[in-house]
Amino acid sequence: MQNMWKNICHGLNIFKSEIAITEINMKKDNKDIEKALTGLLEKYNIIPPQPFRLYKDSNPDVINLLPGYVFADLKLEINQIPLLAWRVRRKFVELKKIVEDSVIENACLFRFCCMGSKDKWSLSSLLYREMDLLEFIGNGKIISVQAVITGEQASNVILRLDTNALCSIEAGIQMPPDTPLIDRHEIIAQRGVASDLVVDTNVPQSSIYCYTNEGEFRYTDTDMELYGFDDLQIDHIRSAFQVLKNPDLSKQWQLQHKHLVNLVRMVFESDSKREKMILN
Amino acid sequence: MKPVKIAMLSLTHGHTRKYYQSLKDNPKLEWVAVHAETETEERNFLKYGYDIPCYLDEKEMFDKHPGIEAVVMASANIKHLSQFRECAKRGIHVLSMKIPTFDPDEYTEIEELVEKAGIVCQVELEMHYNPVVTRLYEIIAKKELGKISTINATNITLSPMWAFPWQGVPEDSYGKRVPLKKGDNRFRGGALSDHPHIFDLIRWLTNNDFEYIYAEEGPNIRQDIEVEDNLIVNGKMKNGISFLLDPSWSRLEERLEVPGPGWEIFPKRMEVNVCIAGEKGVMLIDCYGPNVFHNGRPNDRYTVQYTYFDPWIGLMDEFVECIRNKKTPKINLKWHRKTIEAMNACYESISTGKVIYL
Repeated sequence: MQNMWKNICHGLNIFKSEIAITEINMKKDNKDIEKALTGLLEKYNIIPPQPFRLYKDSNPDVINLLPGYVFADLKLEINQIPLLAWRVRRKFVELKKIVEDSVIENACLFRFCCMGSKDKWSLSSLLYREMDLLEFIGNGKIISVQAVITGEQASNVILRLDTNALCSIEAGIQMPPDTPLIDRHEIIAQRGVASDLVVDTNVPQSSIYCYTNEGEFRYTDTDMELYGFDDLQIDHIRSAFQVLKNPDLSKQWQLQHKHLVNLVRMVFESDSKREKMILN
Repeated sequence: MKPVKIAMLSLTHGHTRKYYQSLKDNPKLEWVAVHAETETEERNFLKYGYDIPCYLDEKEMFDKHPGIEAVVMASANIKHLSQFRECAKRGIHVLSMKIPTFDPDEYTEIEELVEKAGIVCQVELEMHYNPVVTRLYEIIAKKELGKISTINATNITLSPMWAFPWQGVPEDSYGKRVPLKKGDNRFRGGALSDHPHIFDLIRWLTNNDFEYIYAEEGPNIRQDIEVEDNLIVNGKMKNGISFLLDPSWSRLEERLEVPGPGWEIFPKRMEVNVCIAGEKGVMLIDCYGPNVFHNGRPNDRYTVQYTYFDPWIGLMDEFVECIRNKKTPKINLKWHRKTIEAMNACYESISTGKVIYL
């Protein structure tokens, strides 16, 4: 078994697609993340239905497992599985549970913000991610969007969920190159508030702050089984693992992907028409 | 410079307490009297122990202190027009609260009263005297972010309406009872009416005006009030800068009749945060931070204790300067009119579901 996985992942060329660039500036590359996924599959005795790649591969017999926004402009091929990778990140899982378990009651207002750099992100990719997170955490479906966009670099979107909650998404790609994603997800309810930011702060915390003669270094390690990978890589590996472990999930995510692609299109249409767009 | 003899009117506005220290400490002011609208307000004022005469009738106060040169009009929005008429008649300068009126015709009348009486009218938008905002303005003016794409800002607070009930009464806050939108049992006059700052700030920072504006209300966090308590606003300035504003009462409060420690349920009772993105980068600003924290009395809850520099010092300094040297305040009625128009456009957008062009 071990050899089989080694063979599948052996001798791969890193395909420098948009997503590869997203993650290429890390200490670990695509070969490493496939190796890590293979290790997890072996550890938990998961047998994937067919060979896979965590980057684009034109071979129709190989499953392509990539974050969904990579496929946003394409007709989804049968072997392409859009990963809603952020859904496996622990902080979003916990926020979802806080809402679903009524730890906070009757969410009224969702305030999301996500700022990245254009060397790693496009505006569409951030909108895709944040709108999925809104539906995931908010436990509802987006029914309307009203957006303003400046130069395909910054967008401010007002949305409504079918739960009647009001939502805002601020997304932009004007952070300097190589800057980690800065995001905020705050839910305000009739009883209680939940957020992934500390009260009275504007930016995410790190686990370790190291001040040295060589400068300041920060470390945030969140996964012992995938120690050394960054957050985006961990999301990629973990979400791919979930899909391979539970093949039904790929169908759900393919459906959601189509919905999200449509939502992103509506955001741009709303800006262009200066109108609120209602989903039928 | 001879100190300006100043009084306060009504004492029913949420910012009333902020002025007590400024009026007492500022050597350019001589605090001569206060008018309390009710016996409750009078009692609350007397508890502070200031040796300042307090009247329940404003005309009596003016008659007994003919030397009053200026007032802080610390009253409900509905009272402003009649108090402007009285002050203009007596030639008394006015420091108006944030919303002189939402009614365009009343606004015009107030402008005419001020003009004809030759008095100074400064509108209280204290963020102009905040050191963080001053630094922010300088950074923008120096174009350190290059061409700006977007300015997003929050002006999020708890609701002051339990201590200042007029803020929950549509007529007293908005000036009349106007449904938020068809089929909605709420009325104009809530969180939006309480939060003009960010509408003003974006005009000031960009030196530009609104092209169009869109607003949408959320379901109320407080189910038992008849005004809106949360909304989101977006749109574009005439120079193409987009914006997203959150002027909500989205921090819950204990329903205290007199504001004080233990007012907040969420640890932070108020924030004005700004995020600006431009071609050279992104800037995040906390206009009222950093702060200190405790979880002590009265509720043993984690609480933000603010440390910001008192903006009312600069605000009162400018007011005195304008009175003594016959200058026009930065935030005068003409400047502020467009901010009020933008806020009214938000209400119209909520009502129609459409973008409103200004």
